[in-house]
Amino acid sequence: MNPVTRTLIAKELYLHRWTMLGMAVAAALAAGLCAFGRLAFNVGAIAWITAVIAGGVMLAIYGVGQERRDNSLQFVLSLPISPRQYVLAKLAGLLLAYLLPWLVAAGSAALLVVLSTAIPDGMLAYVAVLSGFLLANFGVVLAGALLVRSEGAMTAVIIVTNMGVSIFMFVVGALPGIRDHLGDPAPVWNTTILAVLLAEALVLASALLLPLLSAARRRDFL
Amino acid sequence: MSTSKPIHMRGVCKSFRYFSLHDLDLDLEPGEVMGLVGPNGAGKSTTIRLAMGLLAADRGEVRVLGHPMPQDQAQAKRDIGYVSADMRLLPNASLGWHMRLVASLYPDWDEAYARTLLSHFNLHPGQSARSLSLGEQTKAALLLALARRPRLLILDEPTTGLDPVARHEVLSQLMEVMLDDRRAILFSSHNTADVERICDRITFIDRGRVVASDDTGRFLDSWRRIELELAPGSEPPTVPGLVAHTGDGSFHALTVRQFDESLLEQLGPDVRGVQRMSLEEIFVASVMQHRQERRP
Repeated sequence: MNPVTRTLIAKELYLHRWTMLGMAVAAALAAGLCAFGRLAFNVGAIAWITAVIAGGVMLAIYGVGQERRDNSLQFVLSLPISPRQYVLAKLAGLLLAYLLPWLVAAGSAALLVVLSTAIPDGMLAYVAVLSGFLLANFGVVLAGALLVRSEGAMTAVIIVTNMGVSIFMFVVGALPGIRDHLGDPAPVWNTTILAVLLAEALVLASALLLPLLSAARRRDFL
Repeated sequence: MSTSKPIHMRGVCKSFRYFSLHDLDLDLEPGEVMGLVGPNGAGKSTTIRLAMGLLAADRGEVRVLGHPMPQDQAQAKRDIGYVSADMRLLPNASLGWHMRLVASLYPDWDEAYARTLLSHFNLHPGQSARSLSLGEQTKAALLLALARRPRLLILDEPTTGLDPVARHEVLSQLMEVMLDDRRAILFSSHNTADVERICDRITFIDRGRVVASDDTGRFLDSWRRIELELAPGSEPPTVPGLVAHTGDGSFHALTVRQFDESLLEQLGPDVRGVQRMSLEEIFVASVMQHRQERRP
């Protein structure tokens, strides 16, 4: 990887360190809250999902949209990089900035399921597909931020992806291959779970590839 | 050789919905300071963004420091310092962080010079970019561009919106940079006083077309306003390079762009006065004539 691209990836991690920390701490605390009874579980679960979604939206908005709006994009593009390298650095930097707290969030949720006697371990597979969905969801929001220029379109992307979380939870949670094993004493990694995880991986890969392909063809970058 | 010129543009066209740049030819020689002067919306920023590779020309050739743009922009930008009036630093980082970032990307970064500029501009490395005023933002961006020791400086209206003191500080620094005759500067502005002060070549641009391009000295030497007193009802004779004519009774004023002393002999005893024109007057006269010529 080009040293300039590496420097710009490090730049993203530095600039978004507080968002990353906030998302990781909020998600870990929310997961911890889930261990204290049914009401606390519901509140904690909502707080956990909110932290993971909000962290991603903030990274995309502040990392891409605001840089463009504030005209600091001009400063970044004055550095010795091509638009393709810029997009690559943005994708890799912001993905990494999201991945680190996402790992904390997913890990703390998994730990909760494993350690809590009140929550069946069968939930672990659902935690995996939900975490995978939130990661893919972030990929779509990030791609949207890099591809669309208008604030209205970006707002639409955020609304649609947020709605997508609720739809995912209802639809995927109701799939027999998942629903029927939520209460099992051990997680079941059946074909439904693997198919959902594969679909999420494909969505994430496509979302990350699209801005790279688009940037290579884009003639005007400002 | 054209390819080694800091900037070489030939037949460059770029169209947007409500604006087009037409057949732009522009050459910036090593060591030259060129002022790109035009009214708002003339195409100065478009020209500069084409030179920076931030926009791609629809037609024509753009080469910067020998690199075809925008294809080779990453290479070309290793030797370019770019500052524009609306450029802002990253708001969540300090000026010192920006200095370290730029220093890590440019091997020629001159830390001692950067420190000198910090002191000259009264900036502090610990200042957050968010807290910098407009003038400080420009000075900070200029510091980051100058301390790279670039071969080419591209400055898009860097003095716009600055108070007179900040403008003086910025222009003084640029005049110091000009002492290094290996560096070239492209300086866009609609402030002719700034351009006259630092540029040795000027290109006027209006409505997406180059109106005139010449050495600053030649511009100032070749333009004159000649006042004539003629018999009532008579018209002044046709003179070469006549750009504008205003008359009030027997008094007439001719604006000419190819002035030489022989013209005064041709006009004879009717000449009442000859005035040198300021760059601003020359600019306005050039633009108005260009618009008149293009009127259907």
